[in-house]
This record gives sequence, C-alpha cells and structure tokens, in this order.
Amino acid sequence: MTSPGLAVPRAAAPTRWPDFSRPLAIIGMVIGWELLARLLAGSYILSGPIDILAYLLGNAGLMTRALLVTLEAAAWGFLWGNLAACGLALVALLLPRLQPLISGLALIFFCLPLVATGPILRVLYGTGTGPQVTLAALAVYYTTYLCLLVGLRAAPASWFDLVRTYGRGRMTELLRIRIFATLPYFLAGLQIAAPAAFLGAMVGEFTGAERGMGVLAIRAMRGLDVDATWALASVAAAVSMLAYGALGWIGRRLGSVPPALLMAPPPASGRSPLGLRLALPLAMGLLTLGVVVLLWQGSMDGLGLNRFFAKRPGDVFAFLFTDAQAAANRATLLSAFGATISLALPGYLLGLMLGAAMACAIVIAPALSTTMLPIAIALRSVPIITTAPLITLALGRGAAGTITIVAVMIFFPTLVACLEGLRRTPGQVIDVFESYAASPLRRLTGAQIPAMLPAFFASARMAIPAAFLAATTAEWLATGGGIGSLMAMTASTSAYGMLWSAIVLLALTASLLYLLAGQLEHLVLSRFASEQLVK
Amino acid sequence: MTSLLLPRRTFLSGGLGALGVMALGLPALRAQTLTPVALQLSWLHSVQFAGSYIAREKGYWRDLGLEVALNPGGPNAPVEPPVVSGQALVGISAADYTAAAVEQGAPFKIIAVAMQKNPFVIASLPANPVNTPADLVGKRIGMALANTPVLQALCTINGVDINAIEIVPTQYDAAPLLANQVDCLLCWETDLPVAMAIQGVESVTMLMADHGYAVHSQTYIATDDSLANRRDQIVALMKGEVMGWNDYKADTAAATDLTLAAFPDQGLDRATQLMQAERQVPLMFSDLTDANGFGWFTEETVAQNIETLALLGRTVTPELWDRSILEAVHGG
Repeated sequence: MTSPGLAVPRAAAPTRWPDFSRPLAIIGMVIGWELLARLLAGSYILSGPIDILAYLLGNAGLMTRALLVTLEAAAWGFLWGNLAACGLALVALLLPRLQPLISGLALIFFCLPLVATGPILRVLYGTGTGPQVTLAALAVYYTTYLCLLVGLRAAPASWFDLVRTYGRGRMTELLRIRIFATLPYFLAGLQIAAPAAFLGAMVGEFTGAERGMGVLAIRAMRGLDVDATWALASVAAAVSMLAYGALGWIGRRLGSVPPALLMAPPPASGRSPLGLRLALPLAMGLLTLGVVVLLWQGSMDGLGLNRFFAKRPGDVFAFLFTDAQAAANRATLLSAFGATISLALPGYLLGLMLGAAMACAIVIAPALSTTMLPIAIALRSVPIITTAPLITLALGRGAAGTITIVAVMIFFPTLVACLEGLRRTPGQVIDVFESYAASPLRRLTGAQIPAMLPAFFASARMAIPAAFLAATTAEWLATGGGIGSLMAMTASTSAYGMLWSAIVLLALTASLLYLLAGQLEHLVLSRFASEQLVK
Repeated sequence: MTSLLLPRRTFLSGGLGALGVMALGLPALRAQTLTPVALQLSWLHSVQFAGSYIAREKGYWRDLGLEVALNPGGPNAPVEPPVVSGQALVGISAADYTAAAVEQGAPFKIIAVAMQKNPFVIASLPANPVNTPADLVGKRIGMALANTPVLQALCTINGVDINAIEIVPTQYDAAPLLANQVDCLLCWETDLPVAMAIQGVESVTMLMADHGYAVHSQTYIATDDSLANRRDQIVALMKGEVMGWNDYKADTAAATDLTLAAFPDQGLDRATQLMQAERQVPLMFSDLTDANGFGWFTEETVAQNIETLALLGRTVTPELWDRSILEAVHGG
C-alpha cells in the first residue's frame, strides 16, 4: 500500500517509514477521540468509539437495513451522476464551442438548493427512493465533470501533434490519448464523488423517506441519542473511506500513471482581435441565460408543476420588480445575501488554501496522509447536522463557526484534486531537481506546484457552489441569518417567491465567480503551465 | 428487540389481511375495489400519527372503500406542495402554515383539528425554570430564528418585552440546553422534553396554549377543488381518522405497540413513543371533542385562532375553516 503522496513518480524515499507508523497513528487518533468524548460527557454532543461500537452491536439489524437502503440510493445516484458527467464532458470536448454553455448549465443545476428541489422531486416521484437517487446524482455530477474536463486536456501537446501528423482527427485524439490521459483525473473525481453521493442520498431522505440512515439520523438528533447520532456518522464516514480506498486501489491496479507533462509552451496561435475576445464570452453568457430561462419555464410547464411552489421566471421577475412589495422583497433578499456572502467568501478562500497546503504538506511528509486523509474524508461524509453542534461548541455561533463549516466542506475535494495534480509532475523534472540535491521544498515550489495548478483551479471552480451550499446550511442550523434561513423559512411560510429569487441570485453569483476563476486560471496557467491551457 | 417485534408484525399483518396479501405479492385482489388516496403526514413516522396507523391496520379505511397511503414528511418535506398538486388528498399542516400558504395563493381549507391545543412549549431545567411568560425576561432562549414571530406573539399576549430575551439560533435539539448554552428552548411538548425525560433529565415545560397562544396544530387541510369534487373520499378518509384516534385515546399503549410493529425500520424506542403518546392526549382531546367528536372546532375557537394569527402577521377570515366534512363524519 502506498499513500497517494508516495506515488510521485521516481520519488522513492531513501529511508522508508517503519511499517507500524500507520497503525500507530490510527490508534492514536481513536484514543484521542475517546478522550475528547469523555471530556465532553454529559453535554450530549460527542460519543466515543467504545459507546458507538456498543450501539452498533446492539442495533446491528436496524443499522444494517438502514445502511443498505441508503447505500443503494447512493450507488444508483453515483452511477447516474457520473454517467451524466461523462456525457457532458464528451459533448463539451467534441463541440468545444458549446463548452461554456454546458459548463454554465451544469453549474446552475448544481446551485439548486435542497429546499427547492426536495418538494419538487417528491411531487414528481411520489413515494419511493427517486428523490434520494436524484439528489445523490446531483451531488456528484458536477465535480466529476470538472475533473474530466481537466483530465481530457492534460496530455502533452506533442502527442496531439503526432496524431495530426498522421492526418487523424478529434476522434483519434479522444480514443488514443484523451481517454487515457483523463483516467487518473476521472478516478480522482470518483473519489471525490463517493462521499458526496452518500451524503446526497442521506440528505435526500429528509424529503420524506420511509427508511434509511438519514431518517435514523433525524430521529437520533431529536431524541438526544448521541450514541446513535455518532454511530450513524461513523458508518457514513466508514462507507466513504472504503469507497475512497477501493477507488484508489482500482486506480493503482489499472496502473493509471498519468502521462508526464512536458513543460513546453503551446504552439503560438494567432490572437483574435480584442473586440472579438470580449464579445464572445458576453454572447455566450447571454445564450446560457436564455437557455436556462427556457429550460426552467419549459420543464415546469411540461411537468405541470403548480405555480404555488414551482415559480416560473416571470413570477420571480414580478416578485423582485413589478409587485407592490417588490422594493421590500429586494431589500430583504439583498441584505440576507450580503450576510451570506460575507461568510461564504472567507470560508471558500480558507478551504481552498487549507486543501492545497495540506496536499503540499503530504507530498513533503507522506506520513501525514495516514492521519489527514481519513479526517478529511470523514469531515466530508458526515452530515453537517451532526458536526455543526461540535463546531459551534468549539467556535461559537458567530462568523468563525460558519466560516469553518464552509472551509470544511471545500477542504476535502481541494485536497484530493491537488494531490492528483501534484502526482503529475514529470519524472524527468523531478530527476533534475534530485540530481542537484534540491530540498523537497525547493522541488515542491519549483516543479510540483506548477504541475498542480490546473487541478487547483478545477477545485476552485468546484468549490464555488459548495461554498454557498455550506454557508446556507450553516446559517439555517447555527447562525439563523442570511439566505440560508430565508430559504429554510419557506417550509413554514410558503414564501416560494422569495425562495426562487434567492436561488436566481445565488446561481448568478456563482456563475460570475466561476467566470472570474476562469480568467484567473487563464492568467496563471499561461505563465506557469501553458501546455494545459484550453486551445 | 427487533427480533421480538418481527413475529408480532407478521402476526398483525397476517391477521389483518391487507398487508399479508401484499407481502405475498398479490396486491391486486382487493385493490380493484378500493380507491387509492394519500394522506401527507407532516413528519417522520411515529406515534404522532398513531391514529392513522390504527385506521390502516384495523382496516377502517378498507371497509370505507379507501386504500390510504400514509406518506411520511421530514425536515425538507413541506406538506403544502403535494396537497396543492393533488398528489395527496389531505395533508397535515398547522393553522399558521396554512394561513401563510393561502396568502401565497394556495386554495386550502382546514377541515379538522387534531391538536386542539398548540404543542409549543418553553422547556427549561428545574434549577432555572420558566413557569410563566414573565420568567422569560433575561433568559437565553434556543430556537429556530424562523419561529421569532411565535415568541413575539407570546410576548405580546402576555405583555413581555421580547427585547429582554436573548434569542440564540439553535438546531432543533435539546443538547444546547443541557450544555448550558441556553436557559430554555422553544419546542414541542411531545419531542425534546420527552427525549430529556428518557435520558433521565427532568425538565419544566410551559405550554404556550395555556398562556393565550391559540393556534390549531396538526390540522387536516384539503384544496377547494378536492372538497368540491372528491368530497366522498375526504369524508371516508376523515371517518377512518376519527375511528383510529378514538381507539388511540382508549389505549395509548396498544397504539404505541401497533406503531412500533408497523415501522420496524424507523428506530423507534418504545419508552419514548409511549411517553409521547401519553403527552399527546391532553393536547388532542378536550371537553370540546368529548362533546362533539375528534377534530372538532367552533366559531369561538376559530375566533381565538384568528386573533393569535393576526399577532403572527397573518390576516385570515373564518372562511379558512370548513366544518362540513366533520359534520358529515360525526353526523352520518
């Protein structure tokens, strides 16, 4: 077993870590957990491993049945979501002009919050696991799509030159080069998707499910059953870690060593005139907007969804601009939005930085991965409703708590994506650094970080909707302000006009940030990793 | 515990026929003559809806020609959309939720009231109790911010300055009270205080309904369209409900056992469910229901509701309530 950090080509450590470091670290973590639980005993916030184990043994039948129900929904969602991602990425690759449109649509669908999709899915599917599967699929397709987009173009330019020399076209490029180049990225995407699918299925059960782990989690939380709550959280985390490990193992079995990137600048292409470079994105933005509005109106009309809860574009426009209370509606929405963004942005940046920094730390000191990766996966796979009380206890209910919750949600995907990026540093380049006896730090800054940049920017884009999702959830659960609580109130006030207006505002903001990240990426990549620019 | 319950479930369903037939994969036999309808519950399965389970398991609805699906709710499953869409014939809401939905254009009527007294309480610990609304002054209260109008209404009715209370936004969970992050909680009489009692923590509850907060809860709602065109089905559905809840009142322990047997995958704890079942009785049954039957309401109780709803910022008229279904149920 090698840790991901050790898989850097030819970076064989001269002194091997003793084999018992890994079990020791795990035992240490478990003991620390138990001690913390003992320390917090009586506060009904955290349970230790011993109590959790006792609970699991005492309720083995109940937990197994619930796990199977949720796991099945998660597995179907995982399958459908990733298939959808592959389809979208293929279309985006084969029709490059449509890529901004597809990315825009993919992003906007990903921005739809559970509060809005839950009731609609339940009305569409009736009873059964349809909503759970759909929400699990919605939770994974976007991250996989972005990973695929990076992977499909992460091949040396010279390989494409070769294809062109033989007079072959896009199809050959795809079949002979891109699919193999993308495999490691695809697997990294699947590793990110696994915990997300499970969490999506669990949260999907909040929309009125007959059984499953989400159902048990709600009951345990309200029943002050801390052992049950943390037993459920532990099972969720264990499932995600197993899936993560299994996908990593498959990746290594397939021998999916990414092709080494030769750091050569791309063939200089004629630059288009400035006017065209500005007009194109603008036109594409308008086109995306038009398609979204058409899809929105068309799907709701087509499905015959009642206007009471399924607001149409025209309803939102009226709510914000032509109704008698339009000005008051706008004021309420904007002040809530201001509160949310002031927490989501710092959490976003913090999560990105922590994820990238941790990936770098693991490359320098691979032993860290033993302790850090399980924690990162656990944080991503345990529902926020379980961890939020612990975080608010430690950091209070103010800004710090919310920012931390946002950072936690973003940290894991960033870490995984960046680790994958770091692994792609060309062996020859590493050789050069080693032959000069350069320090690991020097190697990191000189070679590995530039190789990581595309993956980092992919995470930066992935994290935008995730940041809003986390911030609004935290507001709903802990701080009670902002867009999150506006949306949560819909259940009791039926204020669906406000809900859909909030969704539109969040989706627009996310799209703008996405474009901004894209510009920044272009700027940075053209300097440090020009071979990976979209051509 | 589970293994003990399973035989009982098999016994129950076998004896009752319908479930047993379904288990054999032969649902078509009786379904041909039964009209399928759905009742949208407002929360996860528990004794909160035990009367409905009794009606289903004892075949009250079957005898009335209905096959009723009891669709569970959840934290993200509002009742109003499935009812407005016609997916559910009747939904279980609350007067304030329904009033808001009607304000947003939903054509709902309240046709019966399961909880005569609103279940909202202020729960506190005996060492630092809240016995009257005046005791709230200077206290930290843990609640969802969305419930601020509820607290505001209670304060207005009792002449308490809401600014003298510190509102702490919390999850719906008793832990913040036990961890001393707050002094009291705004919650239901039948959930968090029960959870604390089961954990061995004694708590003090002040029922808001005893201090002027009159909002019908666990109300049955239906759309104007259903009331006009599917009236017989609604009457049959409510007839079964009334019979089920009358059985419930007669024997809460049996109702609890039936609930546990019907939902083995829900992780229900018998002691918790039994206590919840008992605490529900005084909220659901009163002199009014003893005299007129389960679910009843009068012009007077409606007027009290309209007054409290006005404090919650909801302007409603008595036309929101429609007693014709109950009159058909209890009269026929």
